[in-house]
Amino acid sequence: MDQFFQQLVNGLTLGSLYALIAVGYTVVYGIVQLINFAHGEVFMIGAFGALSTYLLFFDGQTGVWILPIMIVGAIIASVVTAVAMERVAYRPLRNAPRLAPLITAIGISVFLQELVRVFYDRIPFADFPSAKQRIPFPQLDGVSGKAVEVGDVTIQRSAIFTVAALVVCAILLWYFINRTKLGRGMLAVSQDPDTARLMGINVDRIIVVAFALGAVLAAVAGVSQGLQNNNIDFKMGFIAGLKAFTAAVLGGIGNIQGAVFGGLVLGVVESMATQYVPGQFGGGTWKDVWAFVLLILVLVFRPQGLLGARVVDRA
Amino acid sequence: MSIPTLPDAFVEKHAAKGWPVGLAGVALVIIGTFMSWSFDPNILGDLSVYGYPGGLQILAIILSLLALVLLLTVKGPLASRLGQWLDAALGLRALGLWLLIYMVGVILAIATDSSGLVNVDPGGWISFVGAVLVFAGSQVIPLRELRDLGRARLPGWFEIAAVAVVMAGVLFGAAYALAREDAWSFVLVLVFAGGTVAAMFRTGTMGWFGHVATRRRKVLTLAAFAVAFFFPFTQQGSDANMSIATSVLIFAATAIGLNIVVGLAGLLDLGYIAFLGAGAYVASSLSRSAFATIDWHPPFLVIVLLGGCVSATLGLIIGTPTLRVSGDYLAIVTLGFGEIFRFSMFNLDGNNGPNLTNGPNGIPGIPELAVGGFNFGDEHVVAGITLGRFSNYYFLLLLLMAFVILVFTRLNNSRIGRGWVAIREDEKAAEAMGVNVFGLKLLAFAVGAFLAGLAGTIKAHQDGATSPDQYIFLESAFLLAAIVLGGMGTIAGVLLGATILKLLPEKLRFFSEYRLLLFGLTLVLMMRFRPEGLVANKRRLLEFHEEDEKLATAVESELVEEAK
Amino acid sequence: MTVTDEVRSPARASGQPLLEASGVTMQFGGLLAVNDVNLSVHEGEILGLIGPNGAGKTTFFNCLTGLYKPTRGQVRFNGVPLAPKPRAVVEAGMARTFQNIRLFANMTALENVMVGRYCRTSSMALTSILHGPKYRKEEAATRARAQELLDFVGLGRSSEHLARNMPYGDQRRLEIARALATDPKLILLDEPTAGMNPLETRQASDLIFKIRDSGLSVVVIEHDMRFIFGLCDRVLCLVRGETLVEGTPIEVQSDSRVIEAYIGTGESDDEDAGQDTPAGGDEEGKS
Repeated sequence: MDQFFQQLVNGLTLGSLYALIAVGYTVVYGIVQLINFAHGEVFMIGAFGALSTYLLFFDGQTGVWILPIMIVGAIIASVVTAVAMERVAYRPLRNAPRLAPLITAIGISVFLQELVRVFYDRIPFADFPSAKQRIPFPQLDGVSGKAVEVGDVTIQRSAIFTVAALVVCAILLWYFINRTKLGRGMLAVSQDPDTARLMGINVDRIIVVAFALGAVLAAVAGVSQGLQNNNIDFKMGFIAGLKAFTAAVLGGIGNIQGAVFGGLVLGVVESMATQYVPGQFGGGTWKDVWAFVLLILVLVFRPQGLLGARVVDRA
Repeated sequence: MSIPTLPDAFVEKHAAKGWPVGLAGVALVIIGTFMSWSFDPNILGDLSVYGYPGGLQILAIILSLLALVLLLTVKGPLASRLGQWLDAALGLRALGLWLLIYMVGVILAIATDSSGLVNVDPGGWISFVGAVLVFAGSQVIPLRELRDLGRARLPGWFEIAAVAVVMAGVLFGAAYALAREDAWSFVLVLVFAGGTVAAMFRTGTMGWFGHVATRRRKVLTLAAFAVAFFFPFTQQGSDANMSIATSVLIFAATAIGLNIVVGLAGLLDLGYIAFLGAGAYVASSLSRSAFATIDWHPPFLVIVLLGGCVSATLGLIIGTPTLRVSGDYLAIVTLGFGEIFRFSMFNLDGNNGPNLTNGPNGIPGIPELAVGGFNFGDEHVVAGITLGRFSNYYFLLLLLMAFVILVFTRLNNSRIGRGWVAIREDEKAAEAMGVNVFGLKLLAFAVGAFLAGLAGTIKAHQDGATSPDQYIFLESAFLLAAIVLGGMGTIAGVLLGATILKLLPEKLRFFSEYRLLLFGLTLVLMMRFRPEGLVANKRRLLEFHEEDEKLATAVESELVEEAK
Repeated sequence: MTVTDEVRSPARASGQPLLEASGVTMQFGGLLAVNDVNLSVHEGEILGLIGPNGAGKTTFFNCLTGLYKPTRGQVRFNGVPLAPKPRAVVEAGMARTFQNIRLFANMTALENVMVGRYCRTSSMALTSILHGPKYRKEEAATRARAQELLDFVGLGRSSEHLARNMPYGDQRRLEIARALATDPKLILLDEPTAGMNPLETRQASDLIFKIRDSGLSVVVIEHDMRFIFGLCDRVLCLVRGETLVEGTPIEVQSDSRVIEAYIGTGESDDEDAGQDTPAGGDEEGKS
C-alpha cells in the first residue's frame, strides 16, 4: 500500500508539471484553434531563463529568496519567446492550410533547441556553460535537499514546490480569466472571434495574451523541472511537450480545468504503470511507450477528452 | 527573389549608357581571368597563373559570355532574331547581380583563406570591376514588353536537343561541383549555377524549358536517368562523392514514398522514418551478421519483399486511426507511432522483452550484399573506370528510385490519384460521391510504407549497421522538410529538396554546427513565403493560395493549352 | 408553361417505389430536426421537397444519403434497406448535390466528373501501376463518359476549366454532372437554382426534365415555388421536421396549411418579418 501512495505522490508531482505545460496548449487552442507544438520549447527556454538569472546575479548562493527572482527571469524568457513566435511565425499563417502552422511549429521547435544548444555559451557579457551537455540546475535551500518522510512515503521538497506552484497558478489563472477585463475578452474570443471583433475586442491582442499566459505557466514548469531533476538540457522540451499535449487532449483541448485534470491523470497513470505493469514490458524502460500508447488511444477514441467539454472539430 | 530596381526617371536618363558600360564590363571580366587572381596558389584551386584562365576563372568567363549574348540581344546582331522572345534586360540584371556576387565571393574567399585583401592580385580586381560594370550597366538597360516564350514553337529535334544539353549540363555541373574539395570553391560553383539558373528564369528560357519538359516528359525522364546512370563514371573511382550520392538516393526514395502520403493523399505523417527503420531491421535481423537475431537467411530478394511487407503492415496499423482522426491529431498519432517504434527497437534487447534488435547497440557488422555471384563490396572496372563499393549500391538504388518514381507517377495519374485529390479538396463531398475515403487513406500509408521498407533493406547493408538512434523524430522531420522545401506532390521537387538537405551539410562542413539551426529556420521561412515549395505542383500551388484569382486563371490557361 | 403540361403525364405506375423512407427521425441532442417523415419516390418521377427555412429539408436529405445516421426509421432503395453510409448509398444508385456547392475547387471540370466515376470503376493500386491494357481501357472509358456527361449538362467546352473559376450557374451544372457520373437511378438536388436569375432557373428546370427523360427519378429541394410547382409530379411540404402535406402540385399549392406555414412561421418566429417584409406575401403570390 505504501508503494501505492508513493507512486501516487510521484504521479501527482509529475502530473502537476504536465498540467502547467498543458494549460499553454489549451489556452492557445481555445482562442485560435491552433495547436502550438513548439510550446515544449517555451518550457525549455523558461528553464534556461531561470538558470541564466541565477548564474548572472546569484551564482553560488542558495537562499530560497532567489527562487521568485529566478521565476521572474524564467517568465520573461518564456513570454518573449512565445510572443515572438506568434508574431513572426504563426500570425502570417492564420488563414493558411492547416499543414502550414504544423510544419512551422516543427521548424520553430528545432530552431529554438539549436539556438540554445549552439549559442548558450556564446552569449556576450555572460559566462554561461555550454548547453551541449546537461547543465546542473541550482539547488536552493527549502525547495531541494532532504526529502520529507510521511510514514513510508518520501516526498521531495521540489515536488511540494511543483504541486504548490500548480495550485497557485490555477487560482491566479481562474481569477484572471473570470475577473479581469482581458480574461473576459479571451472568453469572448474563444466563443466567437468574429462577433468579438465586432464588439470592439482586439483579437490580435487577445491571441498574444493567450500565448503569453501559456508561456508564464510553462516557465514555472521549467523551474520546477530544473529543481526536480537537478539539471536541464536543450532537449527537455520535446518529450515533456508531447506528454503535456496528451494531457491537454485528455482533459479536452480548449478546456482549462480539463488540462489541469488531464495532466494529473496522465502523471498518475504513468507512475502507476511503472510500478504495476508486470514482467518485461513493465518498469521505467517502457513507460514512455505506454504514455504514447495512451496518447494514441485518447486521440483516436476520445478526442474530445475525458471531460468532453468541447467537441473538437479537428479530430 | 526580386531584384531591386532603380527609379524609372534615373533609368531613362542613363538608358543609353547601359549597353556600352555592360560591354566594357564583360571585356574587363574576361581580361581579368587571363591574369592571376590570387597571390597564393593554394586557394580555390590554383588561380595564380598569368596568361591563361583556369578553374573558377573559366566559370567567370562563362557567366560573362552569357551576359555578352544577352547584351547583343538588346542591341546588336542577335537583336533581330532573339530580341522579341528573350527578356534580355531582366536576364542581364539577374546575371549582373550574380556575377557580382561571384566576384565578391572570390575576393572574400581569397581574403579569408589567406591573410587579407593584399593577396588578391590585380587580375581579381580587374574582373571584380568588370562585374561591377556589368551589374551597373544592366540596371539602366530599359525593360521591354515581350512575347511569351512559352508560346514559341521550335522544331522537335531542337526541343529534344535542348533537353539533352540541359541534362548534360546538370551532369557535368554536378560532377564539377562535387569535385571541389574546399567549401569556398563549392559555394562559388553553386553561385555560378545559381546565376545561370536565375538568368534562365529571368530571360524566360526556363519557362520555355518547362513547357518543353511537359511536352517531352519521356525524353526528359530518360535523359535524367541517363545522367544519373553516368554519374559514377565521372568520379574516377573515388568513393567519397558516391557515398554522398547513395545517401541522397536513399533519402530521396524514402521522401518520395512519404510524398505519396503527404503530397498526394494530404495526410501528415511525422513518424515516417519508422518504416525505413522497419525495413532496415528486417534486413539486419535476417542478415548473416554475428549479431543478427533470427537464424534464417533467405535470398536478398525475399528479404527486400519481406521488409517492404512488414513495413506496409506497420503502415496499415498506423493508418487505421485515419478512420477517426485527421489533421493535427493524425500528425501527432503518427509521431507517437514513430516514437513507439524507436523506443521498442531500443528496448527489445532480451532484458526488456524478447531479444529482437539487440537494444541500443543495434546490429552491427552486417555483411555486404551479395546477389548471385555479385558482391556489392567488390570494385569493378568498367570501360577503364573503377566503380567502387558505393557505386554498386548506387546502381541498385537507382533501380529502386526508378520503381518508386513509377509507382508515384502512375498512382498520381490514376483513378486513385483523383480520389486522393478529391479527399484533399473536400472529404465529405468525396465520400458523398462514392470515393472510398478510408480505403484510399490506408492505401497511401501502405504504399508509402512499402516503398520506405524496400529502401530500408538496402540501407541496412549499405550502412553495415542498424541502431535505434538512426530513426529518431528529427529524421522524419528531415524527410518532411525535403518535401516542403522541394514541393509537395512533385518528384523533381523532392529530388531537389533531398539533394539540398543531404548534400550541403556534407560539402559545407564548416557550418555543420549550424545545420539544424538553419534547417529549422528554413522550414519556418518556407511556410511563410513559399509554402508550395521550390518546384511547385500546380494543384498544391492553388491550394496554398485559395484567394489568388490571377494565379487560378494563369494555371487554367496552362491546363487548357496542355489539353490541346 | 408548355413544359409544365408535359409533366402532368401520370407517373409511370409501378408496384414498388424506388426509394422508400419510413418513419425517418433525426434528433440532435434536444432538437428534433426531422420527425417521423415518410417518403416514397417512384421510377421516373420528379418529387419536390418544400418547406420554410429550418424545416429540416437538408437534414432529411442527409439522412437519405447516409451523411447522417437517422435516430429512427429506415430507408429502402429498390426494396433493399440502405446502410446509412454515403458510399453504400451511392453504390446503390442514389447521388446528390449540395446546397452550398461542394465541388473539388482545384480540379478541372472533367476531373470533377471523373471522380464521380470512382465507384463505377475498379482499377486498384496494382493495376494502375502495371498500366495494362485493361487499365488503359477503363481510364479512357472514364474520360469519355465524363466528357459525355459534361456535354449533357451543357459544359462540354469547359472540360479543362478549373471548377473554382467557373461561373456560379456552371458550377451547379457541374455538380449535377458529377452526381450523374455515379450512374444513379435517383438523383437528389439540394436547391439547384439557389441564387440563379430567371433565365438560368429555366435552363435548370429544362436540365432536370432532361435527366428525368433519360430514365432517372429526381428529388428536388427548392424555395422557388413557381419553379417547383412547374417541375414536380408530386410535392411534399415539410414544416418543423414533420410532413405537413403531400400531393400533386395543385393540391399542395391550394392547401391553406401550406400558405399558413409559409406566412405563419414568419409571424410566430419573428414578428416584424411576418408583418411588413414582402417575403411572406411574395411566396404566396408566386404560388
